Amino acid sequence: MLFYSFFKSLIGKEVVVELKNDLAICGTLHSVDQYLNVKLTDINVTDPDKYPHMLSVKNCFIRGSVIRYVQLPADEVDTQLLQDAARKESVHSRQ
Amino acid sequence: MLPLSLLRAAQYMPMLVELKNGETYNGHLQACDGWMNICLRDVICTSRDGDKFWRMPECYIRGTNIKYLRIPDEVIELVKEEQTSNSSGGGRGRGGGFRGGRGGTRGRGGRGGLTGRPGLGSSGGGGDRGGGRGGRGGGGRGGKFPRAN
Amino acid sequence: MDNQRNNQNQQRALDHTIAKGCANLLDEIDKRLLVVLRDGRTLIGILRSVDQFANLVLQQSVERIHVGDKYGDIPRGIFLVRGDSVVLIGEIDQQKERYAPLKRVEMEVILEAQRIEQEIKAERDARRAQAFKERGLLYQTEAGITEDN
Repeated sequence: MLFYSFFKSLIGKEVVVELKNDLAICGTLHSVDQYLNVKLTDINVTDPDKYPHMLSVKNCFIRGSVIRYVQLPADEVDTQLLQDAARKESVHSRQ
Repeated sequence: MLPLSLLRAAQYMPMLVELKNGETYNGHLQACDGWMNICLRDVICTSRDGDKFWRMPECYIRGTNIKYLRIPDEVIELVKEEQTSNSSGGGRGRGGGFRGGRGGTRGRGGRGGLTGRPGLGSSGGGGDRGGGRGGRGGGGRGGKFPRAN
Repeated sequence: MDNQRNNQNQQRALDHTIAKGCANLLDEIDKRLLVVLRDGRTLIGILRSVDQFANLVLQQSVERIHVGDKYGDIPRGIFLVRGDSVVLIGEIDQQKERYAPLKRVEMEVILEAQRIEQEIKAERDARRAQAFKERGLLYQTEAGITEDN
């Protein structure tokens, strides 16, 4: 649930989602759920020649299981807070 | 109407099932369950490249192997009719249409496991295995969805 | 009447689990959507139903094939797509579609273009596979998302 909460804190920010089929989509994070499915708005595809079908899409839902990476805005991520949260969660799960 | 309820409503209808490995199966839906496991009758299997064909009297497909199913357009109309007759029946109290509709669903659900004909369970046992049914469901039957590509 | 209330409660509970599960595909119901599958295919259809696994029912759907700057649609009827073969679901923006630098062509034209493209690709793949084999390597074609990645 940590990353779910983490992604929720990034809602409204610009992210780049790279899929396992090498498609990379840049867009504003609109929503996320427990499976880390995400919804992006106002998207742009980095290689439109290779993925022409995405040219007519503005908003999209991406299944969490096909995401390889999510590139985040560096200044929006508090790594200290993330580390603490990860520690807390691991302590919780050990109990 | 959830996707799996729609599938159940398409019982006995012809459909095309494509597996994750690209093979396609044309046949009539005999039974399905909550995991999308299905039984088809009068099946024509087509290889991934569409160059090889096999005919079989029936087959079972485990839901996890399915990529998608293509079902006849009529199913949605059928479901709409059932739903409107259900709700209008409800409004009138206990209308005939309402009860009739419910009875059908309950009957199907009651058999447990894979919904459908009780006889199916025995099909693996060999009773109706073999060529006996092979001749049925020829080109015309599978012809509704001839090819995947 | 009790039955009806029960049904309503069940539906509400269901809506709730779906809403929790799927970054809300319920908002997209009855919209015309573009669905990209793991095998790389693109379907466009009206979303009629979803469940918590993101299984989809698409009505009046077409398969859209792109070759170079051309595209064509092939009518496919109703699809029930299994959630785990879905990569992405996109809302089609009329304006973006209009300004896209693509030409729409007839179904026959795009199918022929696709056939030629596939032939060229198959030839290239065969050459590469051979070259890899001579070097003791295994060549894998890049086609969609497979089960193990």
